[in-house]
Amino acid sequence: MTASDPTASGYNFAYLDEQTKRMIRRGLLKAVAIPGYQVPFGGREMPMPYGWGTGGMQLTASVLGQDDVLKVIDQGADDTTNAVSIRAFFERVAGVTTTTATGEADVIQTRHRIPEQPLRQGQLLIFQVPIPEPLRFIEPSEEETRLMHALEEYGVMHVKLYEDIARHGHIATTYAYPVKVDGRYVTDPSPIPKFDNPKLHMNEALMLFGAGREKRLYAIPPYTRVESLDFEDHPFEVQEWDDPCAICGARDTFLDEVITDDRGGRMFVCSDTDYCQSRTEEVA
Amino acid sequence: MRWNAFDTPVHDSQRVYRQLLSAMAEPGTFAQVSGAPLAPPGAAIGTACWATLLTLCDLDTRVWVSPELNAAGLGEALTFHTGARQTDRPEEADFALVIPATLEGSAECEAPAFQEGSDTYPDRSTTLLVVLDCLDAAGPWTLSGPGIPGRRRLDVGQGGEALMMRLAANRARFPRGLDAILTCGTRLAAVPRSTRIIRSASEEVDVCMSP
Repeated sequence: MTASDPTASGYNFAYLDEQTKRMIRRGLLKAVAIPGYQVPFGGREMPMPYGWGTGGMQLTASVLGQDDVLKVIDQGADDTTNAVSIRAFFERVAGVTTTTATGEADVIQTRHRIPEQPLRQGQLLIFQVPIPEPLRFIEPSEEETRLMHALEEYGVMHVKLYEDIARHGHIATTYAYPVKVDGRYVTDPSPIPKFDNPKLHMNEALMLFGAGREKRLYAIPPYTRVESLDFEDHPFEVQEWDDPCAICGARDTFLDEVITDDRGGRMFVCSDTDYCQSRTEEVA
Repeated sequence: MRWNAFDTPVHDSQRVYRQLLSAMAEPGTFAQVSGAPLAPPGAAIGTACWATLLTLCDLDTRVWVSPELNAAGLGEALTFHTGARQTDRPEEADFALVIPATLEGSAECEAPAFQEGSDTYPDRSTTLLVVLDCLDAAGPWTLSGPGIPGRRRLDVGQGGEALMMRLAANRARFPRGLDAILTCGTRLAAVPRSTRIIRSASEEVDVCMSP
């Protein structure tokens, strides 16, 4: 390995062996054909622990091509630990070009956010998913939840949201907010803030979800109906902030609260660093 | 005899797979499989179909080949390059290589009963790999559903009736069903089970709109 050729040798392209890629690829085709349904797959051990995005990485490794431009984000940011290490991983094992610009990427692997800039047709958005089963916290048995999905038995999900209302006066679920895909499967959108849920609906990009520890993958095809579960008298709502982004002034983005000192000082900034930066450059 | 395969299997199969993935994600759109190897001599399948087999099959998959397409060279080439096993039981096939007439059945034998999966595991189903004489937009079949903004039209040529009616029947059994990858020469498209299919009554509209 030299500085001019940082690609690691001794690995297959994009780390995974071809047999594994084919298994995941076949699974993804079924996932796309049955939107929102969780396809079991033979998850492989990746060179990082579960919980760091091994599911998303296996999907990325299976679909990535040598001409693709890859972007990796973690909570919207390109420069956080998880994003930096996964990006470096694919630079080394696949030798692909990487970018931080949402518009220039062909494949975007994401942890817990959907970029603010609307995605376009042909782009792939790959989510890292910790717990793919939206019914898991209500029903611990996999056999039972599988049957509930088969029978479209989703009443308990509404009971859970109702309990929120009974206890807090509103639906208190703020992330991993359950959705119904194409009017059939109740699906976990991964722990994205519910602010991002409306972006799932009729998105132009293909969205793939991979859970490494739970060994499940699923998909939401482009131009697909995705509804966030709610009630007529308690309709689904997204978060709002009183202040604009302290850096770029945006009022329509998801904001992170940043503590600035130990005397209660704080500021709100865009969680999508690329979007924030491009807005700042436009103004300048 | 020479059985052609990909020049660079890793990158070529990735490229074909992405075309398959887009086709499945956006039913009724077409991909042109370029630079793919020619199908084995004697096999009446196009390069898109052969490239799909090379991309998706391996020793974990069982392939059912319809009698009309079953050529000696095809089975041997498939085993040689992918290790896939051929099966004569349609219900245990992961992939079924068919022509539209295969799904028609006849008086003496019924149409093969491919695996539709179960309500709990709908993914354990057969994917049809259909070899067509004609694959085009602006045909009598109207597609809608996931992956389709509004509507798309599809033409699968003469005799495609049985195929499209079979795929249209998927809706009633959802999530069980058959997914289809349609190929014609170097062209491919897909119709997953999530697609709603209706035959348009207004075929003459297309005739008027064609130049």
